[in-house]
Amino acid sequence: MNERVTPWQPTVIAGPKQALLVTPETAEMMIVKAKRPLMVVGPLINDNPAQVLVSKIAEKWNIPIVSTGDAFKSLTEAGVPSKSYGLVEIVNLLKDPEWKGVSGEGNHDLVLFIGVIYYMGSQGLSTLKHFAPHLKTLTLCKFFHSNADASFPNMKDEEWLKYLEKLAKID
Amino acid sequence: MENKSKAKELKDDFWKSKKLLVTTGKIADDIQEDSSESKGPTLKPSVTDLREWDMKLLERYTPFYAPFCDMCCLCTYGKCDLTGGKKGACGIDIEAQQARFVLLACCIGSAAHSGHARHLLEYLIEKKGENFPIDMGTNIDIEAPIMRVVMGKKPKTLGDLKDALDYLEEQMMHLLSACHTGQEGKSIDFESKALHAGLMDNLGKEIGDLAQIAALNMPKGEDAPLVELGMGTIDKEKPVVLCIGHNVAPGAGIVDYLEDQELEDDVEVCGICCAALDITRYNPGAKVVGPISKQLKFVRSGVADVVVVDEQCVRTDVLEEARKNQACVIATTDKICLGLPDLTDEDADKIVKQLVNDEIEGALILDPDKVGEVATRVALKISKDREALKKLPDLQEIQEMAKECNECGWCVRVCPNNQPMMEAVTSAVEGDFSKFQELYENDVCYTCGRCEQECEVNLPLISMLTKVGEHYTKDEKFNVRAGRGPVQDVEIRKVGAPIVLGDIPGVIAFVGCTNYPEGGEDVAKMAEEFLERNYIVVTSGCGAMSIGEYRDQEGNTLYERYSGDFDAKGLVNVGSCVSNAHIPGACIKIANIFAKKPLEGNFEEIADYILNRVGACGVAWGAYSQKAAAIATGINRWGIPVVVGPHGTKYRRLFLGRTDQPEKWKINDLRVGEVIDGEPAPEHLLYAAENREEATVVIAKLCIRPNDTSKGRQIKLNHYLDLHKKYFGTLPDDVVKFVRTEKDIPITYKKEVLKLLEEVGWEPRALPQEPSLMKFREEKASDKGDSK
Ligand code: SF4
Ligand code: SF4
Ligand code: SF4
Repeated sequence: MNERVTPWQPTVIAGPKQALLVTPETAEMMIVKAKRPLMVVGPLINDNPAQVLVSKIAEKWNIPIVSTGDAFKSLTEAGVPSKSYGLVEIVNLLKDPEWKGVSGEGNHDLVLFIGVIYYMGSQGLSTLKHFAPHLKTLTLCKFFHSNADASFPNMKDEEWLKYLEKLAKID
Repeated sequence: MENKSKAKELKDDFWKSKKLLVTTGKIADDIQEDSSESKGPTLKPSVTDLREWDMKLLERYTPFYAPFCDMCCLCTYGKCDLTGGKKGACGIDIEAQQARFVLLACCIGSAAHSGHARHLLEYLIEKKGENFPIDMGTNIDIEAPIMRVVMGKKPKTLGDLKDALDYLEEQMMHLLSACHTGQEGKSIDFESKALHAGLMDNLGKEIGDLAQIAALNMPKGEDAPLVELGMGTIDKEKPVVLCIGHNVAPGAGIVDYLEDQELEDDVEVCGICCAALDITRYNPGAKVVGPISKQLKFVRSGVADVVVVDEQCVRTDVLEEARKNQACVIATTDKICLGLPDLTDEDADKIVKQLVNDEIEGALILDPDKVGEVATRVALKISKDREALKKLPDLQEIQEMAKECNECGWCVRVCPNNQPMMEAVTSAVEGDFSKFQELYENDVCYTCGRCEQECEVNLPLISMLTKVGEHYTKDEKFNVRAGRGPVQDVEIRKVGAPIVLGDIPGVIAFVGCTNYPEGGEDVAKMAEEFLERNYIVVTSGCGAMSIGEYRDQEGNTLYERYSGDFDAKGLVNVGSCVSNAHIPGACIKIANIFAKKPLEGNFEEIADYILNRVGACGVAWGAYSQKAAAIATGINRWGIPVVVGPHGTKYRRLFLGRTDQPEKWKINDLRVGEVIDGEPAPEHLLYAAENREEATVVIAKLCIRPNDTSKGRQIKLNHYLDLHKKYFGTLPDDVVKFVRTEKDIPITYKKEVLKLLEEVGWEPRALPQEPSLMKFREEKASDKGDSK
């Protein structure tokens, strides 16, 4: 079990506050509870089979997508609408409680991350952990992210895709 | 030493432009002399003297913190847990703690450059005397732009540089002291101090580079020759001396000894990191192995018989690594003594004997001339015997070793970039070495050695990688243009106007180390992209080497394809880390030569000018060191934005602008005396991009300045839109923010942009005539009145 919750890059451990390990079911509960969730999708999802699941998850709960790095291009080509921001830009906005959010309706209360470069994502999650008490972070990568509030465990591709499929499934 | 600089030929337009300035009355030449009347308000600024300027920057570019650690362990009250808004036992909060750490990093970085400058200066004064002139030749009058601004003085001799170092060292002491528990309490003030440490860093580098250019007769801004680069350029048949680090003195000692003894053709002198670049500025016959990413693999390869280390960025286990293949190590500065006996005052014969007979592991020799003699003689003596040594496993052994791998996967997890080392090993079991090869090329694996440290079955992964690389990459031969030092005043006269008006879309400087996310090719590709688009590309240090390690489809390096002129499509290598000073230096010269802003004691006005008018952008794609933190922070204080790679977020702090807050972008138009709406230009001051594609687009955007003419803005936007289309597939939504009047719209994109403008209900606005963050002149005057 430990293997699964040691941060994927073990040295990103920052201190006493660690992410909660979540299953797709708990992740789903978090999403259902959220009023204004947001999904941040990074370039590791370009040309990845997870891309289509990401779009299904976003569609299922009507979650707006922010793309980082150059993920915008590959998402657009796959017919998935997104708004492009630099990872540090979107994190900078998210940490401001007064920011109006991507839809202009107010800042988000749950941010799902997937496909962002691990260590950079970890830094962004650290920013939000410290400076954005008004929102929760949930990571859907196949890597455990200790700086998130909640994270999937470290997994191999196969298991990870199953996790995402569960989350994307329309009941 | 042979005088290798070419005789100076005055360019045709030199006197013409000089005359032009003379006839316009107020001339740059006035400022050259050390006249006391025209000194500005901030001569030798103290820690707080430029605080007001810093606050202006920080108000717009708010520090963004990404804590790398939730705790503080600086004093014995700790560790203190700073999560959830908790304060430490001393009262510090997480923001201030991050900012303190940034200040500390900037102090370390700045001290590394200035300590280096101090060593160098004292050594050169001892050699040449205090009165040795600082003469940068007839094409450079403003020999020390940073020093002119900060110290208000033109340094005429090596001895004059000491004043600046004394001042700097005092400032550094105060700054470091502010990091102590119970000193500064606010993040914003830590940041102002970090900016001051950055400025001291820039000054220290200028002192160091100026001293070596003048005293060692390095190129003075003239076009420099191409020098050999790459592991494959080293003649392994000869005795090899490798220099690692940043201080040219020991390397110069070796070159001098070889020349004196007429042994130049018998011994290979090569280097890694900036020491290499600086030795080639001294003698273009020396060879550059490559950037810091080559260090472990080259030492492991055993090619070097003697490894001479000086300071900064040297692997701290270099002695252990070199001993693995019986190479000798000579440490040469007080920064790196490696536990070795100090033999500085020992007779050279005796040291050589002890080293050759393996009586000592290595030696500490603090006299560069003696280093030259000992290193050469030892290399000549041991090289033959070392030939018989087996330094690396052969391919068959690698295949056997690889079978030990238990596929635990930890090598991949601990790799800073999660490179697929395990896959390389498991493929090698099948005799397929291509995955190792992929890691080897372009330094996709930068041989940090973390995977090897982690491997449960103790596989010598770096040795395996090195052998495979060596076997398959026979022709790792590239080139790099030797560092030319400063940008000449004549060049500034030519490009000052096109840069400030925007006709040359920008000056982009690729600097820094090799903590790249995906190998060195990304840097070269970015440089290529901007060279093709008419930008001026400047480079230095490891970045300059990474650029040289890339060949296009025709097999040419960018240095072969582009001239070394500081002009559109020019690829200028200024030199080593300390030569970075010439990059803000060039921007300062634009303010002075082109806009006639006085330099002395006039930091704010110069920085304000650069921020609003000079479309320059620094890129430190692989920044890893504290020096890089100090360099970037110093550059930022001059109003120049910097883009770092994804690892740059680990510096803990960026300076980000908010485009959704239009009030932050208002500017004072000093000419008309009005506050007017501006645009987010430059949008950020320190930005981390996730990949090359994003970085390329951001860099183009960060070259936009409020002062661009409509023609200039069109050109800049054209590149921004092109690149956005290329890497994102569409036009960027924010283009609307950069269009002031319809004339700003690039013709190719007119229709599309007009549509976007219509969608947001765009209204034209006035172009500023003198955009600034400074106070209006009347306000300044009344401030003065008040203080009287
Ligand atoms: S310096 Fe302050 S926060 Fe750090 S360990 Fe000491 S008391 Fe705690
Ligand atoms: S040496 Fe460093 S960069 Fe190379 S694979 Fe190992 S951990 Fe990664
Ligand atoms: S750490 Fe060693 S044993 Fe584990 S996968 Fe990597 S090479 Fe194999």
